[in-house]
Amino acid sequence: MWFHKSMRLFLVVIFPLAMVFGQNMHPVFPLLDEDDKNVLKSNNPISTLRTCGGCHDTDYISSHSFHSQVGFDQIKEAGKTESGRPWDFSPGMFGRWNSLVYRYLPAEYDEYLDPGRAEWLKLFGARHVGGGPAVYSVNGERLDDLTMKEESQRLNSQRGKIETWDWKQSGVVEMNCFLCHIPNPNNNARLNALKSGTFKWANTATLLETGIVREKNGTYSYIRSAFGPQQNLSADYILVQEPKNDNCGFCHGLVHDDPNIPLITAGCQPQHWMTETTGQVITAQRLVDSGMNLKNKRDLNRSWDIHAERLLNCIDCHHSINNPFFYQEDPESRPAHLLFSPRRLELEDYLYRPSHQFARGQSSFAGLAPELKATMRRCESCHDFNVAHPWLPYRQRHQNSVTCESCHIPKLYAPARRLLDWSILTADQKPRMECRSIDGPAKDISTLVKGYKPVLLPRREYDGRIRFAPYNLITVWFWTFGDPERPVRLYDLKRALFAGNNYHPDVIEALDSNKNNKIDSDECLLDTKAKQNAIRRRLSALGLENLQLCGEIQPFAIHHNVTHGEWVVRDCQACHNHPSNTTRPFLLAQNYPYGIIPCMVQDAQLAHDGRVIEMDNKLFYQTNARAAGFFILGLNSVLWVQIIGAASVILVLLGIVLHAGMRLRSKAVHSEESVKTHQIYMYSVYERFWHWMQAATIIGLIFTGLVIHAPDVFGFLSFEAAVWVHNILAVILVVNAFLSLFYHFASGNIKRYLPEPQGFFNQAVQQMSYYLRGIFRNQPHPFEKTPEKRLNPLQKITYLVILNILLPVQIITGILIWGAQHWPEFLSKVGGLELLIPFHSLIAWFFAAFLLLHIYLTTTGHTPTSNIRAMIVGWEEIEMKSQESRHEQ
Amino acid sequence: MKQQNLWIIIPLLVLFFLILPIYLFYPRLTKLQHDPWSFLPQHTQHTDHSQLMPGPYADGSAVTKECLQCHEETAIEVMQNAHWTWESEPVELPERQEAVVLGKKNAINNFCIGVRSNWPPCTACHVGYGWVDETFDFEDPSAIDCIVCHDQSGQYIKTKGGYPAEGVDLALAAQSVGIPTRENCGGCHFRGGGGNAVKHGDLDESLYYPSERIDIHMGKHEFICTDCHRTREHNIMGRSISVSSDDRNQIYCIDCHAMNVHQDERLNLHNLSVACQACHIPEAAVKEATKMHWDWSAAGQDLPEDPHDYIKIKGRFVYERNIKPDYFWYNGNTKPYLFGDTIDPDEVTMLNEPRGSIDDPNARIWPFKIHLAEQIYDKTYNYLLQPKTWGKGGYWTEFDWDKAARLGSKAVGLPYSGSFGFTSTAMFWPITHMVAPTSKTLQCNDCHGEEGEQRLNWAALGYEGDPMLYGGRKN
Repeated sequence: MWFHKSMRLFLVVIFPLAMVFGQNMHPVFPLLDEDDKNVLKSNNPISTLRTCGGCHDTDYISSHSFHSQVGFDQIKEAGKTESGRPWDFSPGMFGRWNSLVYRYLPAEYDEYLDPGRAEWLKLFGARHVGGGPAVYSVNGERLDDLTMKEESQRLNSQRGKIETWDWKQSGVVEMNCFLCHIPNPNNNARLNALKSGTFKWANTATLLETGIVREKNGTYSYIRSAFGPQQNLSADYILVQEPKNDNCGFCHGLVHDDPNIPLITAGCQPQHWMTETTGQVITAQRLVDSGMNLKNKRDLNRSWDIHAERLLNCIDCHHSINNPFFYQEDPESRPAHLLFSPRRLELEDYLYRPSHQFARGQSSFAGLAPELKATMRRCESCHDFNVAHPWLPYRQRHQNSVTCESCHIPKLYAPARRLLDWSILTADQKPRMECRSIDGPAKDISTLVKGYKPVLLPRREYDGRIRFAPYNLITVWFWTFGDPERPVRLYDLKRALFAGNNYHPDVIEALDSNKNNKIDSDECLLDTKAKQNAIRRRLSALGLENLQLCGEIQPFAIHHNVTHGEWVVRDCQACHNHPSNTTRPFLLAQNYPYGIIPCMVQDAQLAHDGRVIEMDNKLFYQTNARAAGFFILGLNSVLWVQIIGAASVILVLLGIVLHAGMRLRSKAVHSEESVKTHQIYMYSVYERFWHWMQAATIIGLIFTGLVIHAPDVFGFLSFEAAVWVHNILAVILVVNAFLSLFYHFASGNIKRYLPEPQGFFNQAVQQMSYYLRGIFRNQPHPFEKTPEKRLNPLQKITYLVILNILLPVQIITGILIWGAQHWPEFLSKVGGLELLIPFHSLIAWFFAAFLLLHIYLTTTGHTPTSNIRAMIVGWEEIEMKSQESRHEQ
Repeated sequence: MKQQNLWIIIPLLVLFFLILPIYLFYPRLTKLQHDPWSFLPQHTQHTDHSQLMPGPYADGSAVTKECLQCHEETAIEVMQNAHWTWESEPVELPERQEAVVLGKKNAINNFCIGVRSNWPPCTACHVGYGWVDETFDFEDPSAIDCIVCHDQSGQYIKTKGGYPAEGVDLALAAQSVGIPTRENCGGCHFRGGGGNAVKHGDLDESLYYPSERIDIHMGKHEFICTDCHRTREHNIMGRSISVSSDDRNQIYCIDCHAMNVHQDERLNLHNLSVACQACHIPEAAVKEATKMHWDWSAAGQDLPEDPHDYIKIKGRFVYERNIKPDYFWYNGNTKPYLFGDTIDPDEVTMLNEPRGSIDDPNARIWPFKIHLAEQIYDKTYNYLLQPKTWGKGGYWTEFDWDKAARLGSKAVGLPYSGSFGFTSTAMFWPITHMVAPTSKTLQCNDCHGEEGEQRLNWAALGYEGDPMLYGGRKN
């Protein structure tokens, strides 16, 4: 075997890949401790700030990076942040209450302390890179030199006492360069060091199993063989690199970069934040190749994330904002005539001071690093929307009202949180939870994963436009107490609900509806006022006042797990329909505490908040596209327009039925007079052509218009085709109308349409009385019909209205609706689509009513068909006998 | 009143002026209106021959004679086919003065090495009867074996010299004839190299009833061989570079599929330099292990025998399954080794090196199975020898390399110095069958990027580096 392998190696001449990609260029360096001493001598923890600070400005990095500060440098008075929560004091992880993790960090000393700075670090250190609040007190002192007591306090939840934390003993956590800049850092060892409270060793622990550091019984030591002659770290052990996806993934979400190992995530796992909140997974693997029990998995041969598949790294879009490779001068400070400003940091300057402020989008909670909002590379920074969507009608309009993600992230496949209910805890002292995508237990990998479609919410974007964008909504119920109110401590909640490891008897009595002396999983819910009051009483007994049960909805924007091609939503009727993706009710909760309707958090950055609705004892969230300023064809309509329009058509129909019935009856009474008739060439070929052209286009327009407005009724027809045909027919109609106008002017026949001023009123009355009386008595038509005088007075007035008012208005509104994508500003000046579309529909109704009446009146000629026949063959049979010839229409 | 009938023009005009603009201005979707199915040959119902061929038949030739009574032209067609001639049309090769006529008849490989002097076992797969020595008459129509390709009785087996095996019912076979099925082709082609799955790596008996994963065309869409190897007048399309050195009569994916069939332009751009097979056949020998290495020098020892490991008459083998192919530039032509060509015994001799390079605009990156062998050569003349293996004096009967080389060389017409050794040779087998379903095709990171084990060695292919970062070839 070896022989064979070596032969192949020999055959295929192999240049080492390193020749192509270059070896690690990072120079060797010593590992230093806080006192700038080589750790080989001192055996102290590595200080990343000192070690990397030899060349890089680590103080600058650490003090400028949001990753390090997480809101620590933006502390405000409690209750004054964008979230509006009375107990929040910063927009970041340090100060904005995380209702999913629950623990409440007070802004100032609070006798109800939970967890305290040290406990915060143990808990939230998993998603914090160190520095900022992990090193300094609010007053800027280092925590391990702390003179003030407050920030040393912590709640010992075992003993129920507030104790003082020995920062000297534990040390602090500096910003951890290794976590992001070496391949395969030991994140688990880092977490263990944090959890055990040996903070100062957390960064050193990141290097465990790299051959540099070893640990035995909690004692860390350095492996000499990893160091060279000058006690520098040997080049072989220096693997410093730009952050790869899995480095980012330690804190941000599930990253799976080994194509050979099937991806498995049991779902709703708190260690993968972005995956827990939204179900986003960063991997190139195909869904079908993953190890998950996905519904219809066999057909899912798309990758989880197209950008991961195409070998993009997180930092390709979320780059450090002063990286000269990506740097773009702020458009506001850049002269308009400059496309590109070549002046930028030299590489050496950048390497000295890489800001570590990472470009971000615009969708996270308001106040979170606002100076970085929309700095990242967005979809349109790389993709040309117009080139990529040649098939899409109204491109500009779609681009201005829908984010790319809305169609390109149609579904998420990893389970994500739906709700956490902290109003009651389950037997294992966890909140009650619901998970999206799955019906069964989240932890069981045999549970069928169906995936979920995100909800589309209107977001006000960086360019001021409102666009629909996909989100997951996570609802949280929790108790608050006190004044100002703040969440009930988990410690107190457990004390109230449990006695030892079991539920308190009062709790069991209140919740145990099947009387088996246990609280089963389906009983673990405060679904009546009585149950809520029972828990309230338990909490009051602890001395907590002003107890409230609250619910809040947090939106989590979805930008990853993009797909392409056939997987994308391309069907117009996905949104232009009823129901529409834009207003589809989104399940918030299968079960929820009785009567507690949750509200959207205040820093959600939505352009418009929808409503929470209750259906079948479940809670749903529904976006209101109209209220957010959208008027979506096929979904939205104005009720009174439909009522008036339909009423006009129905009235005409009723009139026709009545009139026709009376005519039939009168014919039976009066015997048909034998009348001599003669044939007159009434309509020229062009006139007939023009008429039928007009008839066909109007009928076509009314029908396609119906399809566009009620695609759910005409589900078998393509909405897209209806739109195109409608537009083409409209152009034909206009061209036909103008040609005929020209013909009528040029030939002078326009006179036939103009009412003669003298006696017009009398003639109109005469004609009216014929329709209302004479026709039933078999009287002759009041006016003679000749090619020159073919229209009776009523026709003249009707056609004047239709041709001079209805048709032009319909044409203009139609053009404006079509032009919505070309002149959106002008459109909004004349009322926007929400005015124009209903107006256009109303007139269409009138046209339909006219059409019916018109067709009926053609039957009032000499014989019921003589008029229609005349419009076809040109020759009309006209009554000879009387002076007044019979008339048509 | 003639005019009265002219009114019909008006509705026609109206229709015309309605439909014309809609036809002209309705947007044409860029979606490909391409239907690969339309390129498939239509197989007609084959005439029932059960009454036409009553038999009995004394031998195969008797059947053939009866076939030729109706199918008069067929003998001429078949006798032009490489299945009969075992040689190609003359091919001009850039490095040789004279055109080369090459085929199974006179080629050298690194399996059983050569046909000459070993005819009877080799010609069991010849579409004829009685090719047992160099005197076989290629002009004799009655020596054609019609049944081997057309038999549907399932009991027709050929044996040495191409004769039907003992016990074959010739009349039953003759009455059953139909269009060739997988069984007719597979009987020889799935067993190339002397047994199932030995030679090609992408052709083996798993293709009789393959799953979708083994071959999408045959497993999912129920293709038979002749759906792609289209045959007209007994000219069967398709080439194998073990015996053919050019690409005349070759079959291509784009015979049925549109060149730019992917919805993704990035993938379509790959067509400029990557063969379809490279991504769509991620692994060869999907189910059955194929021979990767054959060490003739180890033959002749009395060791425990295992057809996948060691046989005394043949030597030592390495078999592998689910092989990741090797990738080379290939423009459809090869550079064949011919008897008498000098070798460097310390180097690997390429028996059919694919032509093409990064600078050749007609070349694409293709997947290959490479079969390596240690085979006998003349130490003095420094060329490969063709030993007589089968029959009297052959290595398989007497285990005497010197004698086998002497007899074999005589048959080939090469001088033999009496001094022999073993040298390494390589054969290239392009991987083109066993096309995988879409869900198993290669993804970007199989070839590009930094992490993991990349399939393509960019430097060896002539790139400056990963073309994702350094750009593709410049032609």
